[in-house]
Amino acid sequence: MKFIRLLILGLVLLGSVSGCATRPTNPEDLAVYQQNNDPLEPMNRAIFRFNNVADEYVMAPAVKGYRSVLPETARECVGNFFSNLKQPLYFINAVLQGDFKSAATITGRFALNTVFGFFGVVDTASANEVPVIRRDFGQTLAVWGIKNSGPYLMLPLLGPSTVRDTAGLVVDAFADPVDWVLYDQSPWLAYGRGVVDGFLGLERAHDLMDDMKKNSTDYYATMRSMYQQNRKKEIAVLRGEKEEMKAEYDFDFPDDEDEE
Amino acid sequence: MKKLYAFVLGILLMPCLARAENPAIEFVHNTADMVINDILIADVSREEKLERFRTEFTQALDLKNIGQFVLGVYWRKATAEEKEDFLKAFMDLTTKTWADRFDMYHGQKIIFTGARNAEGNQLYVDSTIQNNPPVEVIWRLKQKGDGYRIIDIIIEGVSMAMSYRNEYSAFLQNHGGQVRELIEELQTKEKQFVWSADKK
Repeated sequence: MKFIRLLILGLVLLGSVSGCATRPTNPEDLAVYQQNNDPLEPMNRAIFRFNNVADEYVMAPAVKGYRSVLPETARECVGNFFSNLKQPLYFINAVLQGDFKSAATITGRFALNTVFGFFGVVDTASANEVPVIRRDFGQTLAVWGIKNSGPYLMLPLLGPSTVRDTAGLVVDAFADPVDWVLYDQSPWLAYGRGVVDGFLGLERAHDLMDDMKKNSTDYYATMRSMYQQNRKKEIAVLRGEKEEMKAEYDFDFPDDEDEE
Repeated sequence: MKKLYAFVLGILLMPCLARAENPAIEFVHNTADMVINDILIADVSREEKLERFRTEFTQALDLKNIGQFVLGVYWRKATAEEKEDFLKAFMDLTTKTWADRFDMYHGQKIIFTGARNAEGNQLYVDSTIQNNPPVEVIWRLKQKGDGYRIIDIIIEGVSMAMSYRNEYSAFLQNHGGQVRELIEELQTKEKQFVWSADKK
């Protein structure tokens, strides 16, 4: 939790130092600027550079080591165990979102995997076609009516986010029931779990990040675009406005020159 | 008597059943089948796969329309030669990128769930890749003559065309709007390309 407080302080400091992107005046650049929703781009790019260095020297070797030490099946078991511990938090958010059907599914998954999956190590639920559902507080805020995500943010080590999703992340970090139980035993257990969770998330994203880095002419812009589009869709579905989203999505094909 | 009715009804309905599959869905379905059977799971060399993939890509996609969209305002500013070179460089890198990504395919099924009209001569074909959680893939098509061309693929809300457009506009903004520089960057990326399977 201390980490998050430091993180927010750091972000505020960095923001005041590196300042905002200049708002372009010509209409074409302005349209791109508004779509990117990234007024803090200089700061975000600086954090992104830091993340990349951290990734290159710490995370990537750690991922590589982890993958060479544990065979795939064992890694799956580790992943299953830690994602099972996430279910209580997902349950709380599903309830807060008023989505009781998903809450029930999440409960079923947690019960199945905890009881018949050796405390979550084996994903019995997926084998029985119980869908995977993830619910975070950023989504909950959106469902509650905070429609505007706020500017895009690149978080140190944690990656792409928005103001709303960062607020959600902070609430989730405090609200996770499993953390409360662990914290009671020893704070270090809760911190340790946080670090492992972060690492596993990175390990999952690692190949995708590698792919983007290799193929993109602007890695930062590609990640921003994909994150924003994916999150927008996820939230539109939760808010029950999927069709609306697709209508809005009608981008223009500038001067169709096909018939020339 | 009941049997007779059923028989007559069956004959009347037959042509409808045969055409039940929407032609747009059929087009995407065939394209996906071809890519899976002739490329992804075919037992041929990587060079051969890439070549087949390139052919399939050229036939199924409306490359010019895509190029026009992904370059956005810069398309209008580019010279005819730059446009041509860009399309080639874009195509070269994109085929490799996707051939590389498809290397990770391990037999998931694609289910086609329907088709919807979009504005003008465009339409969407909806599909789902079986996975947990399932992956939603929407194919954006354009009617061309009496056939179709793919102009965008939207995976879990992420439009490929939109992503490329955002990427290139960021690159071009940081490089004085010089399309030539983008073309050179794409060529460099393509030359330096390392297959994921070779890295592990």
